[in-house]
Amino acid sequence: MTFDFGLVFSSIPKMLEGLGLTIELLLLSSFIGLVLAVITLLMRISGRWFLVAPAVVYIYIFRGTPILVQIFVIYHGLPQFEFIREGIFWPFLREPFWCCVLALSLNAGAYVSEILRGGVLGVDKGLLEAASALGISKPHRFIYITSPIAIRLSLPAYSNDIISMTKATALASTVTLLDMTGVARTLVAETFAPYEIFISVAIIYMVIAWLVQKGFGLAEQRMSRHLKPTAG
Amino acid sequence: MIILRIFAISLVLAVIIGLIGSAMKLSRSRLAQSIANVYTVVFRGTPELLVLLIVYFGAAVTLTAIAQSFDPSIKFIDVPPFWAGAFAIALIVGAYMTETFRGAFLGVEPGLVEAARALGLSNFQTFVYVRIPQMWRLALPNFGNHMLSLMKDTALISVIGVEEILFVAEMATTVTLKPFTMYIVVALIYLCITSVITLVVMALEKYANKHLATSR
Repeated sequence: MTFDFGLVFSSIPKMLEGLGLTIELLLLSSFIGLVLAVITLLMRISGRWFLVAPAVVYIYIFRGTPILVQIFVIYHGLPQFEFIREGIFWPFLREPFWCCVLALSLNAGAYVSEILRGGVLGVDKGLLEAASALGISKPHRFIYITSPIAIRLSLPAYSNDIISMTKATALASTVTLLDMTGVARTLVAETFAPYEIFISVAIIYMVIAWLVQKGFGLAEQRMSRHLKPTAG
Repeated sequence: MIILRIFAISLVLAVIIGLIGSAMKLSRSRLAQSIANVYTVVFRGTPELLVLLIVYFGAAVTLTAIAQSFDPSIKFIDVPPFWAGAFAIALIVGAYMTETFRGAFLGVEPGLVEAARALGLSNFQTFVYVRIPQMWRLALPNFGNHMLSLMKDTALISVIGVEEILFVAEMATTVTLKPFTMYIVVALIYLCITSVITLVVMALEKYANKHLATSR
């Protein structure tokens, strides 16, 4: 048994095609997920039970089930219903790509809203008291005081979540999508060289994870530069 | 029940891997440290599905090559997907456990360890009787989260053909033609199991911090 580098080099172009789809999935679902997360967060901290309850149920369901099962429910499951097959969203729900984006976004929304809530709860009470003493209204307090601090506090956890999202995009290969893992699986089925192909793909995933971590690390450093003692 | 068996096996393996890994990270040996670091970086940066595929297909190829060197007439060795799956999941969760346990070991008060030394306990005895019971309390919240992700990772093993609930649901769909009903049942089963795990971890946390609660 030898490690065939020639095979690795010859399959790199195909893998890069898969990389495009992986990144598309990642960017789209993390963006939609973030929007969902902010909406869920606002519902969750609104203090009104008819807004809090749906948010809590949503978070509970999507954090309690495997993403693979969620993808299967959406991709294989939804077409069971007549009204979905005839509804306006059918052109989207027919495509495995949009089903994956939907499942990953819903999943990210649930996790990220919890992360953001942690950030909001971590904001110093004194700051908010000071703001209300200065007569700043509640919406303004949230926008100008809570949000910037909460975003900074939740950045480390958020970067971890983006990394798990990157890894979750690999599940798209189970619904016939040719993302990086999907390409690798077809290549392995053709060549039966699992080590060469899977390990090279794994290295690409690790590079993405590393880049995400570094990027967020820089962003965090920049956002907390006021906390550092000034030089000299 | 297959997912619960995989869960139990992988959990035990992952805890063992986590303890060894964190001990390596905290050891003074440079070599042990870097092995443990490479392990955690690799297994936390690679998708779970990919690790599973590498372990399953990789083990088949490796075992076949080894067997062929003894007996060239062997064509192919099939690895039981159940054990490949359990092992792959244990490796992934073990990497997260390593990090959690490392943090928890660092949180153990150094005075306790010094006291154990002064009482003449060996390194190993200190590890088992002082460090582990102390760090356990600190590791619990994260440990609970890792148990949850382990449980959810068990859904992946249907990909390599283990007949667990997702696989059975797929089979059932071909007969009943009601995919939504089948998969929602699977989701509900997972939701029940994860809820039970959450409750158990909450109870364990309460138990572990009992001595702190009474003082309030």
